[in-house]
Amino acid sequence: DSHIQYERVGADVTMKCGSMDWDAAVTWTANGTDIDASHLNGSYLILKKVDLTQSGQYSCYEGSSWHLKYQTYLRVGTPPKEPLLMCRSNNYPKGFYCSWHLPTPTYIPNSFNISVIHGTREMVCEKDVFPKNRCHIRYLQLFSTVKYKVTLTVTNALGKNSTTATFDEFAIVKPDPPESVVAKPVPNNPRRLEVSWQNPSSWPDPESFPLKFFLRYRPLILDQWQHVELSDGTSHTITDAYAGKEYIIQVAAKDNDIGTWSDWSVAVHATPWTEEPKHLTTEAQVTETTSASTSSFMPPPTTKICDKGAVVGSGAVAVCWTAGLVLAAYGVLFI
Amino acid sequence: MAAADNTSAALRRRDLCSRGIRLAGKMRSDVVDLLDTYVERQGLDASASVAAVEGVPAAAVERWDEQTGTQRLLENLAAYRAFRALLAQMLEEQQEQLGEADAALGRALAAVLLQVSAFTYHLEELLRLESRGPPSEEGAEPPPAPHLSLFERKLRGLGVLRELAQWAVRSTRDLRQLAKPSPGSSSAASLAESP
Repeated sequence: DSHIQYERVGADVTMKCGSMDWDAAVTWTANGTDIDASHLNGSYLILKKVDLTQSGQYSCYEGSSWHLKYQTYLRVGTPPKEPLLMCRSNNYPKGFYCSWHLPTPTYIPNSFNISVIHGTREMVCEKDVFPKNRCHIRYLQLFSTVKYKVTLTVTNALGKNSTTATFDEFAIVKPDPPESVVAKPVPNNPRRLEVSWQNPSSWPDPESFPLKFFLRYRPLILDQWQHVELSDGTSHTITDAYAGKEYIIQVAAKDNDIGTWSDWSVAVHATPWTEEPKHLTTEAQVTETTSASTSSFMPPPTTKICDKGAVVGSGAVAVCWTAGLVLAAYGVLFI
Repeated sequence: MAAADNTSAALRRRDLCSRGIRLAGKMRSDVVDLLDTYVERQGLDASASVAAVEGVPAAAVERWDEQTGTQRLLENLAAYRAFRALLAQMLEEQQEQLGEADAALGRALAAVLLQVSAFTYHLEELLRLESRGPPSEEGAEPPPAPHLSLFERKLRGLGVLRELAQWAVRSTRDLRQLAKPSPGSSSAASLAESP
């Protein structure tokens, strides 16, 4: 009958062929392949300084009859190193979760045991189905000054290790990043961008536990971020964008009173409105277009300033020319 | 008439709540600063664990979300009345203790005491709106401070300030709950009774 055998990387392993005598004639196989007799000491199989590649099924057959006398699965691995444990509340005030992982793999199965103590009370951390290395706790008390002590022990066939985290209720509060961040140009405003977002859906009660937000933005061509902190509302208009430049924008959230900032949201890109053809649809273009050929489009007529019928004679020309010069200057500045 | 009363009461309540929230926010920020000063001046370790201090109202509460508006106000009021007495005691002890060197600490303590008093008054106003009126303070004296060594008194002070900082956060949350229009509020109940 077969069983599993766990051994440490680098160990010397001796396998006995079941109840066979030491001097019996046997053949050992590893994953079906015969093992050279040089590895044998009598009927014992000797594996020196095993490595991970030597994991597998080892079988021992009686010499002449080829009866299977013994079989084992060898699993080579390591005892666990100290696990990394992290606890966080992204759904305050409902509860918090703890998640963990090992810094290096053990290559063999591990089991985890977690204990949470609040003062004298032991609390139950319910394991999540997915992801596996996570459990969550519901707060029984709020506003407590008593710290929580979480101890995680990881055990496998070759050893065990543990770590402890101690924290108070407020310190681990960290919301998820804001969701559905949208940035849009503002028509006829070459330096504005309208940004809006939503509270993270994991935050259960934004009315009683409002979030504040941090917005950061920069043009793609520059490295320096601009920052804006917003104590309420889920939208903001940027008014100092560089005309015609593509921007990258992100938002982060924090409970108004406690805890730390969330990670940055997914980045969105937006370019402020410009008078370039692709951003402008003039009245003239709309009325003229009957059978629109989608592959090409007409450049719009000259800018609105020049179109104003009220401006007469050389004055009109001067205005048009000035407008053109300003736009050209802008363009040169921000290339 | 009744409708008008309800609207003006509701408005006054919302106004008191939002001012109370700002008061609590400022108070918390000052208490946190005071804690840093206190720890430093009293030569304590910031991470020192202080066991539950007798006579100090604990901010910790179970089923916080199920509390009624009146419960919230009553618990807050009892707590801040206690803190008012505790801080006054601390201030007195502190003034006896040392002279000039800790004038800054004394001033910071006095400033927080003032805010606690103001907040207490604020809570009393809110309770009056709930047509309950605040309970009297007679017989609500905290027990006299047990005779403690200087070091024990310092640790006790640390416990008081820490708990007060928690309360300031709790009060902000409580007032936000109160500011929400709620069908089960006591003012709605009393309204139903009026002819």
